[in-house]
Amino acid sequence: MGHPRVDAIAQEAREAVAAARSSADLEQARVRFLGRQGVLTQLLRSLGTLAPEERRLVGAAANEAKRMLEALLEERLAEALESERRAQRTRARLDLTLPGRRPARGVLHPLTRVHDEIVAIFAGLGFSVVDGPEVETDYYNFEALNIPRDHPARDMQDTLYLTESTLLRTHTSPVQIRTMLAQKPPVRIIVPGRVFRRDVADASHSPMFHQVEGLAVDRNVTMADLKGTLGLFAREMFGPESRIRFRPSFFPFTEPSAEVDVLCFVCHGQGCRLCKQGGWLEILGSGMVHPQVLKNVGYDPEEVTGWAFGMGIERIAMLKYGIDDLRLFFDNDLRFLRQFA
Amino acid sequence: MKIPYTWLREFVDLRLSPAEAADRLMNAGIEVAAVTPLAPDVRGVVIGEIEAIERELGDSHGHRLLLCRVSIGRQKFSVICGAPNTKVGVRAAFAPPGAVLPGDRRIGTTTIRGVESQGMLCSERELGIGLEHEAGIFVLDGDAPLGADLIAHLGLDDHVLDVEPTPNRPDCLSVLGVARELAALTGTRLRVPTIAPKEAGAPVRTLVRVRIEAPDLCHRFTARVVSGVTVGPSPAWLQARLRAVGLRPISNVVDVTNYVLWELGHPLHAFDYAAVTDATIVVRRARAGERFTTLDGQERALDDSMLVIADPRRAIGIAGVMGGADTEVTDGTTRVLLESAWFDPVSIRRTSRALGLKTDAAYRFERGADIEALVDASARAAQLIAELAGGAVAHGMVDAYPRRRRPRRIRLRMERVKRVLGVLPPPSKAKAILAGLGLPTRQKGRDLEIEVPSFRRDLAMEDDLVEEIVRVWGYDKLPSVVPGSAGTPSIAGSLTGVRGALPPTVIQAQTVRQALVGAGLAEAITHAFSDPACAALLRAPGAPEPLRLLNPLSQDAALLRIHPLEGMLAAVSVNVRRQQPDVAVFEICKTYEPDKGETGARESRWVTLALTGARAEPAWHTADARADVYDAKGLAEHVLDALGVGGLRPGGAGRLAGFEPDCHGTLVTASGAIAAEFGEVSARVREAFGIDAPVFAAAVSLDVAAATTQVPLRYRGLPRFPAVQRDLAFVLGAEQSLTAAEIEAKLAEEAGPLLRRVTLFDVFRFPDGRRSLAWRLTFQAEDRTLTDDEVNRVQEHITRTLTQTFGITLRSA
Repeated sequence: MGHPRVDAIAQEAREAVAAARSSADLEQARVRFLGRQGVLTQLLRSLGTLAPEERRLVGAAANEAKRMLEALLEERLAEALESERRAQRTRARLDLTLPGRRPARGVLHPLTRVHDEIVAIFAGLGFSVVDGPEVETDYYNFEALNIPRDHPARDMQDTLYLTESTLLRTHTSPVQIRTMLAQKPPVRIIVPGRVFRRDVADASHSPMFHQVEGLAVDRNVTMADLKGTLGLFAREMFGPESRIRFRPSFFPFTEPSAEVDVLCFVCHGQGCRLCKQGGWLEILGSGMVHPQVLKNVGYDPEEVTGWAFGMGIERIAMLKYGIDDLRLFFDNDLRFLRQFA
Repeated sequence: MKIPYTWLREFVDLRLSPAEAADRLMNAGIEVAAVTPLAPDVRGVVIGEIEAIERELGDSHGHRLLLCRVSIGRQKFSVICGAPNTKVGVRAAFAPPGAVLPGDRRIGTTTIRGVESQGMLCSERELGIGLEHEAGIFVLDGDAPLGADLIAHLGLDDHVLDVEPTPNRPDCLSVLGVARELAALTGTRLRVPTIAPKEAGAPVRTLVRVRIEAPDLCHRFTARVVSGVTVGPSPAWLQARLRAVGLRPISNVVDVTNYVLWELGHPLHAFDYAAVTDATIVVRRARAGERFTTLDGQERALDDSMLVIADPRRAIGIAGVMGGADTEVTDGTTRVLLESAWFDPVSIRRTSRALGLKTDAAYRFERGADIEALVDASARAAQLIAELAGGAVAHGMVDAYPRRRRPRRIRLRMERVKRVLGVLPPPSKAKAILAGLGLPTRQKGRDLEIEVPSFRRDLAMEDDLVEEIVRVWGYDKLPSVVPGSAGTPSIAGSLTGVRGALPPTVIQAQTVRQALVGAGLAEAITHAFSDPACAALLRAPGAPEPLRLLNPLSQDAALLRIHPLEGMLAAVSVNVRRQQPDVAVFEICKTYEPDKGETGARESRWVTLALTGARAEPAWHTADARADVYDAKGLAEHVLDALGVGGLRPGGAGRLAGFEPDCHGTLVTASGAIAAEFGEVSARVREAFGIDAPVFAAAVSLDVAAATTQVPLRYRGLPRFPAVQRDLAFVLGAEQSLTAAEIEAKLAEEAGPLLRRVTLFDVFRFPDGRRSLAWRLTFQAEDRTLTDDEVNRVQEHITRTLTQTFGITLRSA
C-alpha cells in the first residue's frame, strides 16, 4: 500500500478521470493533478520539506500514483478522442449515394472505332497502312485503273470534278497505283481514307464517305488467298462464327472480280430485317488485280499476281451498330456520338 | 432492264421459279435488282360486256354518269360509269364486288345519287397496268372471253426480272442474252428464234443506197426496206409485252423495232422511206453548228464530233441516239427503211452526254453492240413488220461493212487458271463451261483456244476467261487459304518486310484522338465541302481562292473547305439547334487550296475543336462555369503536348479569319511557325451558322506539328536535394497593357539556373482596374541544399528588376 495522503489524492484523481465525459474533461483532470500547479506535482515538489523516512514513503507512493494516473489518462484520452472523432463524422453524415466526381469522358466517332478495328486486323496480318491525296488526277483515279475516259464503267462512280483532269477521288484505289509505282513487289498495304461521289445525301448515300482499300501483290498470290484473308477478317470483325461468300461481279481494275457477303450475324442466315431476308450482307468488293493495272505500274503480270479489295467503313459500321441512316455519321449530333462511348 | 419471265422461257426451258432464276443469275454476276409480279395487286377483275345503258344519272365533274348493265356471262351487274368511252357492246375491264385493285382498293357495292352500283368498270391506270385514264375504261377486243380473268387474259400473270448487268456485259441487255446466260448456268439448250423473213419484189439495193463517210465511227450499216405497210396500233400481245417492260406502245412499226431491241438487244431505227431524199443514206459527222430536230420535237445543236445519219440534203438521225422528227414513221407511212448499224461506243457516249439524251439505243451502243447480230435483228424486225403491218420485205439487205470485225482468239493456259485462282477446275469442266456460254473452244495441248463471238466484246484477254470459268463453276469452289499457312510461302515471305507499319500521319491522328477523347471531347467527322457564302465569310484577306467543283451537287457544296473550323461550326450549330447547348467537339480534317502540283491542290491537315456552353456537365460538385477561350487554348496546348511539340510561345496575329479580333491568339514553334490558333469565334461568323452563344475554338496544324522536331524521350535523374518554393505577386496598373507572358519571360530570364518551375497561379483584378498576377517559383539545385539566403538573393533580384523594368509593384502579402 502507499501512503494515506497519496492514496486519497489518487482516489480523487481516479474519480475525476472516471467522471470525465470528453477529451476536454480529461485534459482538465490532467491539469488538476499532473499540471504544473497540479495536486500531485505540488506534492512531489514539496517532498523536500518532509522528514527523510516520510519523504521516501510519500515519494514512492506519489510516483506510483503519477504513473498510474498517466497511463489511465492516456488510455481514456485515446478512447475519448476516438469516440469524439466518430461523433463528428456521424454529424458530417456522408451520403455515399451521391454521384462520384468523374473526369469528363470523350468519345471516338463510330467510324473511327470501326476504322481502327479494321486497321488493327490488317496490321496484325502484316499490312502496312498507306495514305494518299483526296484530290486526285483522272489518271490515278481512273485511267491507271483500267477505266478509260468515255467508258460506261465511269457511270459506276459518279464523280465530282475540279477540272477536266482533277477530281475528288471516288475510291481509295488510286493509292494502289501510287504505291506500286513507288515500290517493287511484294506489296501488302491497306489504305483507309475519305472518298467522294456525286450522290445526293440520303439514308444510304453520301457525297463523302470512307473506304479501306487492301492490296497484296507478290509471286503466287491467288484468289484463294484473297478468300482466306477476307474470311479471317470477317471472323475478327464479326465474330468467330462468321462466314463469307463470294459472288461474281465486275470492277474494271480486277479480273476476276467478286462481291463479298458475310453471313448475317443477326439471324445467322435464317433471314431477317437486317439482311432483308437474304441471310447474307454485302460488305465489300474485291478481285484479282487486272493484268493491265499491273502493266500500268510496270509490274509483269506473268511474274506477279495480286488481289485487292475495297470496303466502305460506313457500311460496316451501319451493320455492326444497326445504324439505319448514313447521314447520322456526318450530322455529329452529340446524342448520336455519345452512344459510342 | 425489265424482262418478263415468260419471255425468257421462249428461249430456254427453265424448271425454276422466277426467284430461283434470279438467284442463279446473281450468283453468276448478273445483278437482278428485283423480281416483281407483273400485276401485283389486282385480284378478281374480269372481262365484262356493257349489254345496255339503262339510264343517265346526270353530270359529275364534266362526265356523264350512266347506269349500265354489265354481263360477265353467268351473271349480270348494275354498274354506274362516267367514262367517255362507255358504249353498249363494248367489252371492258370489270371489277365486280369483291375484286381488289392496286393499293388494296377493295371494290364493293356503293350508292351513287341514290342508285346502287355493283362494282366498277376500270381504266388502265386504275388497274395499275398503264397510265391511261382520261380516255376512259380499258376496252378489250370484241372477242375477248367474257368472264375470263383479265390479268391472265392479258398475260399479266407473270413475273418481271429487273436485270442490271454491269457495264462489261451489254450482251445481257436483252431477253436472248439473259436466256443464253441462264442456259449456260442450268445446262439447258438455248432456243434461238428462227428468223426468215419472206422476201419479195425488187432487191433492196435497187431501193436504197448507203454511204459511210465516217468509217471510224460507223463500222457497219445495214438497210432493209418493207413496202406496202399499213401503220396502225400493234396487236394486244405486243402492246402488253411492251407495257410489261415499261415501254409505251406507239405504232406497229415502231413497236416492232422496240420489241426486237428488247428481244435481241440490238437498237434499230425505222425511217419513213418516202421522207429520205434520193433514198440515200449518208453516215457522216455532223457539221459544226448543224441544227437538228429529234423525234421528241427538241431542236438540238450538233458539232463535228457527233455522228449523224443523213440523206444527201440533211441529217435525219443522230446515229445510235435518236431519230429525227421529219423522217419518223407516221400513220401515213407506207414504206419503211429499216436501219441496223454499229457505232463506235465512245462516240455514242460522248454525243449522248453532250446532248443530255439518254436513250435505250445509246445505252446499248455505248456499251458495245453486237456487230454480227445486227443482221438477225434487222431480219427479225422486217419479218415482224411484214406480219403485223402487212407489206413485203424487199430482197436482201444493203450491208455497208467497211471495218470488218476480226474474230479474236484467246489462248487459255490451264496453268494460268491455277495461278490466278489457286485451284484448277477439271479441264473438261472448264471446257464445258466455256462451250455452254457460247464460246467455241479448241484443245491446244493442255490448253484451250477460244474464239470470242461477236456478242462478248468484253472478253479481251486470258484472265477474262478465267473469270468466265470460275463464275459459272461457282465461287464457292474456291478454297480459302489463310495467308502465312502452308502453301503460300511467298506471302509468308513478304511478311519479313515491314510488318503492319503505320505512317506518321496515322500515328499522329491516333495520338490526337487519345488526348482529346481523354479530355472529354466528342469526335466529329464533317464534310469537306463548303458553301460559297461561308467560304466568303471565313476567307482571310489575301488568302487563295477556294477550289471550286466543276459539277457540284448543289451550290451550297460547290467549294472545297478553306477554313479548318467550318466543320466544327456546323457540328456546334446542329447541336445547339437541337437543344444541346453544351458542346465540346473535335475533328481531324483537311483544308484544300490551289497548288502547282500534279493534283492541283494542297491538302493541309488539322485538328480543330470547338466549345460552347457549360465547361462541364452540371453536377452537384461543380460550379456552373462556362467554357471560355482558355479552355480552347488549353486543349490546343494539350494536343501539342501530346504530339511532343515543345518550346511553344505566344505568337503574333493569326492567319485564320473568323475570330473576334480581341480574342484571337496563336502558339508558335521555336522556328516561328504557327502551330495553333485559338480564340472566340466572331459573332458574325457564328450567327451565320445560327449559333447564339459564344463559341471558343482552336485549330492545330498537324503539318506544323509533324514538321517540328520532337525532343526524343530521355531519362533524367531525380532531384536529390530539396526544392524551395516562393510566391511572388505583382500589381499592374489599370492602364498597363503588359502581358503575363512578357513578365514571365523576363522573370525566367532573371531568375537564373536555380529556377526549376514557374507557375502563374493567381490572377486577380482590383475594383479600380489594377491587376494582380501571382507566380509560384520553385528553386532547386542539383548539387546542394539551397539556403534561404541564396533564394532570398535571387528573389530580391527578380523583384527589383521586374518592378523597375515594367513599372509594376510587388504586392505585399
